[in-house]
Amino acid sequence: MEILRVENLNKHFYTPADFWVLKDLCFSIDKGKLTSITGKSGSGKSTLLYLLSTMDTDFEGSIRINGEEIKGRSNKWLSGFRNTHIGFIFQFHYLLPDFTVLQNVMLPALKQGKYTKEQIEHNAMELLTLLNVKSQSAKRASLLSGGQQQRVAIARALINEPAIIIGDEPTGNLDTSNTHVVLDLFRELTTEKGYTILTVTHDDDFARQSDSVIHLIDGEISK
Amino acid sequence: MKILKNIRLVSFVAFSQMRVRLKQTIIATVGVVFGVTVFIFLLAYVKGLNGYVQEITLEQTPHLRLYNEPEIATQSILDKVSPGTLNYTHHVKPKSVLPNIKDGLQVIQEIRQDNRVTAVSGSVKTQVFYEVGLSLFNGQITGINYTDENALLNLGTKIQEGSFTELNTMPNSLAMASGLAKKINVHSGDKITVTTPKGDYLTMTVAGIFKTGIPEIDIEQCYAGLSTVQKILAVPPSYITNIKIKLYDKDIAFALSEEYKRKYHCSTSDWMKDNALAFENEAMQNMVVYCVAVCLLLVAGFGIYNILNMMIYEKMKEIAILKAMGFSDDDVRGIILIQSFTIGIIGSLLGLLFGFLISYAISLIPYESELFSAINHLPISFNKAFYILGLSFGILTAFFSGYIPARKAARIDPVYIIRG
Repeated sequence: MEILRVENLNKHFYTPADFWVLKDLCFSIDKGKLTSITGKSGSGKSTLLYLLSTMDTDFEGSIRINGEEIKGRSNKWLSGFRNTHIGFIFQFHYLLPDFTVLQNVMLPALKQGKYTKEQIEHNAMELLTLLNVKSQSAKRASLLSGGQQQRVAIARALINEPAIIIGDEPTGNLDTSNTHVVLDLFRELTTEKGYTILTVTHDDDFARQSDSVIHLIDGEISK
Repeated sequence: MKILKNIRLVSFVAFSQMRVRLKQTIIATVGVVFGVTVFIFLLAYVKGLNGYVQEITLEQTPHLRLYNEPEIATQSILDKVSPGTLNYTHHVKPKSVLPNIKDGLQVIQEIRQDNRVTAVSGSVKTQVFYEVGLSLFNGQITGINYTDENALLNLGTKIQEGSFTELNTMPNSLAMASGLAKKINVHSGDKITVTTPKGDYLTMTVAGIFKTGIPEIDIEQCYAGLSTVQKILAVPPSYITNIKIKLYDKDIAFALSEEYKRKYHCSTSDWMKDNALAFENEAMQNMVVYCVAVCLLLVAGFGIYNILNMMIYEKMKEIAILKAMGFSDDDVRGIILIQSFTIGIIGSLLGLLFGFLISYAISLIPYESELFSAINHLPISFNKAFYILGLSFGILTAFFSGYIPARKAARIDPVYIIRG
């Protein structure tokens, strides 16, 4: 099943001068696949990622996620869509430091408001158990180590069972052993639980273990 | 249900952020508390004092006065003799009129029947000289019917020595204002020689000494029985020069004065005209007080604005994360507005409390004044309206000072922040 379809995607930066970042991209991603976006810095891979994440809406062409067209939607609709269908994992984990680990994981689900607070708490604890950080659940997020924070961030990305998980170099800030943990986890989530994961990466090892790789050179997909 | 859940979530995020930033939150709140406290105290103090002064002034001012005044004729005799021609008359003099109101006693009877009128009192005024040793002191005696005048101006409460009641019963007795009595050194029971305008001498007995609290009155006023003054002036008992009227509703004074003017063919004046300067002065003072109070709240508002603004800069990344997680622009705006609202409400309520406590404490401090004889504490106003005003101003300031930061936060572009 097709989760993501991109057609004739073009993106320009107009300041300081007109710069054609992404050139007529067309590709699609199927459910349950781990896909990597690679490329040199400046090749447009981050730009592509933020377009796919619906946070940047200034583009020409078409992006369809889970059958929904992103182009021309209001900010309000997009934030609701992100909440339900997209999970984020950033390079610098970006947990909210004022909240506990458990609260961080619960927030997107509380925002969605589909389940009761008790159910959400139960689901969040299950995810923290799966990611092996259950013992940290009551701590303030800022007190955790880098590897632990990234695992909490993954739990947060999973809480609403999104159609697609988008990662911005999720292992970029981790040491080798933690990178392996995250990579294994991603493989497990895609093959066993059927999640779809799309991430930008610099790590060749990571890219090699993906189901498919989109390699960008100067804003175009290299064959 | 879903909206309610969302509000709960947004407030949860807002309060969590405030809890972490407790110190800054408290500082912002203290700013509002201070502003509202001073707002309340300032109003309570100034309005209390003004209100008191106005009250005693109004107490000594009838709502309506009827009197006769010489007027310049609008038509000269030439106009009557040869109408239709162009006549020039220079230096027209006022017509000679009697100072008394025509059928004064009859008019008083009629006005007393009017159901808009609480009290009415007729009086006669005369200039006199008090002879003390070799010196002459200028003064004015108003002849009154004590029962009527008391119903009008509440004279009974102003007495300091002796009493007023002899005025009606004892001929040639008078009640003297305290300032004058002090100047010529007389006490109740003393005899005093009075020179009338006609040059006659008269020995009068001081029956009582009173004090109104208004310096102009206390320095020269004397009251005597109506018949005593009529005797001094050598006029018949129907001779009345002044009719003072108190109304149930003082706001109709002007309309009624016009009505009586037409009906009884005399001059009239109302309490607004008589105290124009005092009211003008009060209006100006009010304006200044309100300006100062609002400025104070504005400063408090800038405090809130500053702290929320700083917090948004600090929390830029986290706001971006919230947006990436699916919080809408409205949610983010809501978070900041809830924070400023909370500061505003808590600050205002505490401000009201402290404002009340300070006002109350001040109202307990003993205060003696030559002028304000009737009070021994500062007159402080506890008008509910000030508290309602303070609360709404406090909350409004907080809301407006939170609005700009909230809008700024709502406009944060998550991509811009996350990319660094």
